[in-house]
Amino acid sequence: MLTISHLKKRFGQRTILEDIDLTVHQGDVITLIGPSGSGKTTFLRIITTLEQADGGHIQFAGIDKDFADLTKRDIQTIRRNVGFVFQNYNLFNNKTVLQNVTEGLIVAQKRSKAAAKAIAVSALAKVGLADFQDYYPSQLSGGQAQRVGIARAIALNPKVIFFDEPTSALDPELVTDVLQVMRQLAAEGMTMVVITHQMSFARDVSNQVIFMADGHVIEKGQPSQLFTTPKVSRTKQFLAEILATV
Amino acid sequence: MSLDTAFMGQVFKLTLQGVPVTLKIVLVALIISLPIGFLFALIRIYQVKVLSPLVRLYVSFVRGTPIIAQILIVYSAFPSFLAQFIGKTAFNIDPIIYAYIVFALNSVATLTEVFRSALQTVDKGQLEAGLLVGMTPAQTFLRVILPQALISALPNITNTTLYLIKNSSLAFIMSVKDITAVAKTQAAFSYNFLEAYLVVWVYYLVIAYVAEFLFSTLTHYFSRYLVAEPNKNWFQRLFSFRQPNTAVTNTQAKRAQFIAKEVNHVNN
Ligand SMILES: Nc1ncnc2c1ncn2[C@@H]1O[C@H](COP(=O)(O)OP(=O)(O)OP(=O)(O)O)[C@@H](O)[C@H]1O
Ligand SMILES: [Mg+2]
Repeated sequence: MLTISHLKKRFGQRTILEDIDLTVHQGDVITLIGPSGSGKTTFLRIITTLEQADGGHIQFAGIDKDFADLTKRDIQTIRRNVGFVFQNYNLFNNKTVLQNVTEGLIVAQKRSKAAAKAIAVSALAKVGLADFQDYYPSQLSGGQAQRVGIARAIALNPKVIFFDEPTSALDPELVTDVLQVMRQLAAEGMTMVVITHQMSFARDVSNQVIFMADGHVIEKGQPSQLFTTPKVSRTKQFLAEILATV
Repeated sequence: MSLDTAFMGQVFKLTLQGVPVTLKIVLVALIISLPIGFLFALIRIYQVKVLSPLVRLYVSFVRGTPIIAQILIVYSAFPSFLAQFIGKTAFNIDPIIYAYIVFALNSVATLTEVFRSALQTVDKGQLEAGLLVGMTPAQTFLRVILPQALISALPNITNTTLYLIKNSSLAFIMSVKDITAVAKTQAAFSYNFLEAYLVVWVYYLVIAYVAEFLFSTLTHYFSRYLVAEPNKNWFQRLFSFRQPNTAVTNTQAKRAQFIAKEVNHVNN
């Protein structure tokens, strides 16, 4: 459903991503793990067109092109077929919770207000925020804000939702609610690519774990394999470190 | 020392004629300078070729010279400049036109900076979120970025207006018959300078106060979503006359707090 190959990215002289491949099938839950600065965020930002690639190919939503050849129209197609949940939520601060969710439905998908509202209400109910429709983002806790971010993404019914460390800005006691929502989404068959430091989520929910370091994919595999018998020493070392700190 | 209160009452009545003149200068200057200042801010932010450095030059030129010098330059240069095109009638133009021009030109520079910093306070992340719910950059700008920028610009627009009200008193230099000019004439007739100037003082205080109240009502109405703003009713706002500087710091402090919280979240 989504295939990225030979993706390259430089910032100035520094190579941030080198020859990255990714294949996502319908219903996959893929987790991306790796040390800080390994290029995980940049990777997702390139796939979702927020950043430009310096090389590589994308196959998605009827597009089959090198990144360099993407037209404005292609870019718009990609944007309209993905969802993105940001680390710091990026809710529209001047809009209510309900408007945050309906905005894309009305403006981009050209749905009627009533239809958009119905979709938004059910998306908000799904993340447990049915009673918060008229709140503004500044009145929400981090965990609530992030669940609005998730509702905003799922309401658009995208082919795949990308999550960039959705819980890392949250107080520990709020993490569970957000993870619970994500687990439920995964169970319903939503296709997801998730950057996370929550190893339990990666282990329990995803069907593939990708370990990245220094702009390379070091190792990928099923969680049962990668977490118990990592093949590469670099992966072993990373897992040992991160599990020691938990 | 005793005040000639009868004279004050008389001046008070006469000076009333100057009020619409002062208000006209302020309003016309604002109406001209708000859209142009906004346009200039966009030119600066999007670094439009050729124009951006010109705007920058203009802003620093206006901000680097005293307004009195700007008045004198416009008032002496413009008529003779115009005379080249329309002949002697240029010297018969109502001087209030020159007042409009000077004060608009002056406010454009301030408002360019006001809008520029306001647009930059809105987090770029919201633009990206807009793009990834499928809106175009223009749609996101109009529906998400712009409304927030305008609201965060309001306190500084209030300040600009207050300065404009006060600066407009210099219009008498161009022989415009505003509040100050009328009162000065009365004072010169009777040598009751203090009385006349006290009247002027009261007029400006009232006008500035009303302007401040209107803007604070507007800000209050539009910044509902910031919540940090305590819910004052109109009565409380009526009696919370603030000096321009605190008007800025209040909202900016809230915004700074808000941003600090965001940054904290990101860093954690
Ligand atoms: N706009 C940019 N300009 C220059 N360098 C950048 C930019 N964005 C990211 N980088 C650099 O690219 C590298 C990868 O960053 P990225 O944010 O993708 O890492 P990450 O794996 O998401 O890290 P983290 O776990 O800390 O979020 C970092 O070294 C970062 O400094
Ligand atoms: Mg990151």
